[in-house]
Amino acid sequence: MTTAVSTRPVSLIVNGQPRRVEVAPRRTLAELLREDLGLTGTKIGCNRAECGSCTVVLDGRAVFACSVLAVETAGRVVETVEGLAGPEGLHPLQSAFIEHDAVQCGACIPGILMSLKALLDDRLGAGGDVGGDVDERDIREAVGGNLCRCGTYPNTVKATLAAARALRAGRGARP
Amino acid sequence: MTPPVGPPPKGRLLVHGEVPPPLGRELAVIGRSLDRRDALEKVTGAAIYSSDMTRPGMLHAKILRSPHPHARIRRMDTSRAAALPGVHAVLSCENTEGWHTYWYMIAQPGFPRDIAYSGQEVAVVAAETIDIATQALGLIEVEYDVLPAALTPREAMKPDAPRVPVLDVERPREGNVQQPVYVRQRGDVDRGLAEADLVSESHFSLPTQYHVDIQTRCCIAEWDGQRLTVHEASQGVWNVKRELAKSLGLQEDQVRVVVQSMGGGFGSKAGAQRVVHYAARLAMMRAGRPVRLELTRPEEFMSHPRRYAGEVTMRLGAKRDGTLTALDAEIVLDIGSGSLYAGRYTMTLHQISELYRCANVRVRIVAVYTNTGPTGPQRGVLDPIATFSTEAAIDDLAARLGMDPLALRLKNYAPDFQGLDDTTPPLPYTSKHLDVCLATVAEEIGWESRDRKRTASKGPVRRGVGMAAYCIERGGYAPFSAKADVVAQPDGTVEVQAGVVEIGAGQITVLPMIAAEELGLPAERINIRHGDTDGTHYAPSSHASRITSEVGPAVLQAAAQVRQRLCELVAERMEVSPHDLVAQGGRIHVRGAAERGMTFEAACALMPGPEIRATGSRAPNPDDVIFRLFGAHGVEVEVDTETGEVRVLRIVCSHDIGRPINPKLVESQQHGGAVMGLGYGLYEEAEMDRKSGVLLTPDVHQYRVPTSLETPLIEARNVEREDAFYPYSAKPVGEAPLVGVMPAVRNAIMHALGVGIDALPITPARILEALAAQRAAARTAVAKPGGARPAAEQ
Repeated sequence: MTTAVSTRPVSLIVNGQPRRVEVAPRRTLAELLREDLGLTGTKIGCNRAECGSCTVVLDGRAVFACSVLAVETAGRVVETVEGLAGPEGLHPLQSAFIEHDAVQCGACIPGILMSLKALLDDRLGAGGDVGGDVDERDIREAVGGNLCRCGTYPNTVKATLAAARALRAGRGARP
Repeated sequence: MTPPVGPPPKGRLLVHGEVPPPLGRELAVIGRSLDRRDALEKVTGAAIYSSDMTRPGMLHAKILRSPHPHARIRRMDTSRAAALPGVHAVLSCENTEGWHTYWYMIAQPGFPRDIAYSGQEVAVVAAETIDIATQALGLIEVEYDVLPAALTPREAMKPDAPRVPVLDVERPREGNVQQPVYVRQRGDVDRGLAEADLVSESHFSLPTQYHVDIQTRCCIAEWDGQRLTVHEASQGVWNVKRELAKSLGLQEDQVRVVVQSMGGGFGSKAGAQRVVHYAARLAMMRAGRPVRLELTRPEEFMSHPRRYAGEVTMRLGAKRDGTLTALDAEIVLDIGSGSLYAGRYTMTLHQISELYRCANVRVRIVAVYTNTGPTGPQRGVLDPIATFSTEAAIDDLAARLGMDPLALRLKNYAPDFQGLDDTTPPLPYTSKHLDVCLATVAEEIGWESRDRKRTASKGPVRRGVGMAAYCIERGGYAPFSAKADVVAQPDGTVEVQAGVVEIGAGQITVLPMIAAEELGLPAERINIRHGDTDGTHYAPSSHASRITSEVGPAVLQAAAQVRQRLCELVAERMEVSPHDLVAQGGRIHVRGAAERGMTFEAACALMPGPEIRATGSRAPNPDDVIFRLFGAHGVEVEVDTETGEVRVLRIVCSHDIGRPINPKLVESQQHGGAVMGLGYGLYEEAEMDRKSGVLLTPDVHQYRVPTSLETPLIEARNVEREDAFYPYSAKPVGEAPLVGVMPAVRNAIMHALGVGIDALPITPARILEALAAQRAAARTAVAKPGGARPAAEQ
């Protein structure tokens, strides 16, 4: 086993910012975010796509960042929990999670939020402008791969329904 | 029958020294559903957990583990690993002779030569990178004498069983049975059984449960030659500090422990874990090079103390009208390779011997060592075993008597503490409103119509409703030495200083609410210093549901003392009596005349020195009254008799709560307990290879914790009453919401199917097996009340 591993450059967009990182071929997106970019909001709970705490949004889809190789993300767009709030303030999901107490220890929350961001973007559009909707079943399925041992699921549902209402009402809308 | 006891003594805030005078006004902060203080940083990703930190010059450590469940290390050679470039320190039995780690102050050999379970630590390496550390593990030579293993209590109790080497080495044992065997008796059980019209016997099998905190254990330890600083994922900074100091031969003030955010504990991070001892000792071998040690998910499963497993026999004797005449419980606990919990097994008694009025009770607990991973506290500790056994046995008895289970519970309702055994006197509880909880659950879950619901369900899917009550021992624990400071500064800044850890239950939200109430300020005006042994007094770990009831009174007392000092200063300036002043709405003013006073900030500006500091101190619980928690769960299920699949439709929780300080956070605790209880009852099942002793399910794919998809509607309908032994009547919450869920689910399934499933988790396979046995029994027309039972496991 050798520790000198060749690296290659990867350019990607993270939370709207172009980033260029030298990575080893086996580096995961979760490691790139946490270790190379210091974006430790994304957590690693199992490192094998079973707990969902590393969930980020990649080109509009929620993925387990522990199971995506960093080299695969070249030229792609990654959104993490750190990019959820905009210059105009918190994303409606974040406000609703606080209000409905969908947060306990918090370790799963970044992943849960990003699973739900992908759902709401898909159904309602980032500014609530797509015209679709979500119901309780959609929400439960969207976070079905995110384990929360504190048991915040009931409040996650309540909070997400509230966030969807806020998005539809155009509150918190931003580009 | 037990003699009647008088009413409880008058409740009082449990503090040393002066009990603060009443506020003399309505509460303004307590009882409000304020947002939790750390929610913003947690939804933005800004919250820092120990695993998110790096330190300059940090080394990475990895652990080598035994592949054998029982072995003796004949030869260990770490020299090749130590010589690998990039390796800085190695620990093993070679260089740690006589060293002990501590958890709950229970001494465990650091690296014993006698291996007790598959996955046990045998060496740890610190290196420049995790890759080098991993490579070094492969260079460690270990020769084992592999020995036969006893993997279950049944095997371990055989006369010729191999002797399990244990971690809790200082505890007495005989063979593989920990001593003394625990027996408590009240009255005469044999007479009570003889007097019974019916004796109902039940056998239950409760498995272990894993904590599965989302953040795996991770710490960074740093030694500067004088002082050890540890950034930890722990439920208690003070426990870790004291245990590390003892382990490493340091003065306590040489150890600083810091926990910022913590990603789940549930008992698994209650004190100084093995990993933090290892990291600290490695760090002390290399001053100036911090050592980071993080466990992987499989390592968590393999090595961390998990919930006790139990095999239980319950015998209830009753008269035809349901009056209990005897309660006889025998529990065999699998304590693995060590019972790493200070409280030991007395907790099971509080459920089994107290929940129902019964003159003749015997509880016998046999704790057996096995060649499996160690055991320890998990949310509720032993309460789930006791609660499940008692409440499932009550439903079995009801079925055999042909009685409504709720009516049977009320028939034997115990308003007062009956004495644990013949040597402890009956006493009043601080408060008990379990009857109201039961009535509330019955109403919410539709108890009256439950049989209609069952018969209305058509086809293969059957519906059922069940309930369970609980009584658990919480409300403060020895040594009752929690202290907290409240500090006000001339600019009006106020800080609570408490040596507690926020574990997600809301500790850092609730304690400032208490100070805010006492000072007449909004909660957001109060800062809190927490999760750091520097700048705080001792506080217990955030476990055993104890922070609000133990640290809460200290914060209340300290804040009230600060208020009194400020009132004295204001009184002097305004030439009024301090007793006429009230702190309210951000002002200190004459009671009933808000204009005659000044702002809190103006009052603080009067202080002669740089601060006003007061220390509050928790006093022990009085011994003339009993501290317990009560409540009930109701559950509605659908069971598919073709697939064996259970769908839980509703969980109703009614907790005898006193008064909530923050109702929103209380409800979140109830959700959490219910979800974890649901997992224990229906899904979470570990599998161990019976030959090799290797855990086959060390991951969250095979070990199934509940997801959003299985989690039903959870409704909290709590019973609120005064109980002045708690600050603002706030009785503890954290663990209780779990314990009634499993028996309520089991009883609901029994209601749906007419057959009791007596082994957890109640998987589709177990349901189909029970239904097949039920059909077979019906064919042979042997009518046994309570129905057929699946054969005992193993």
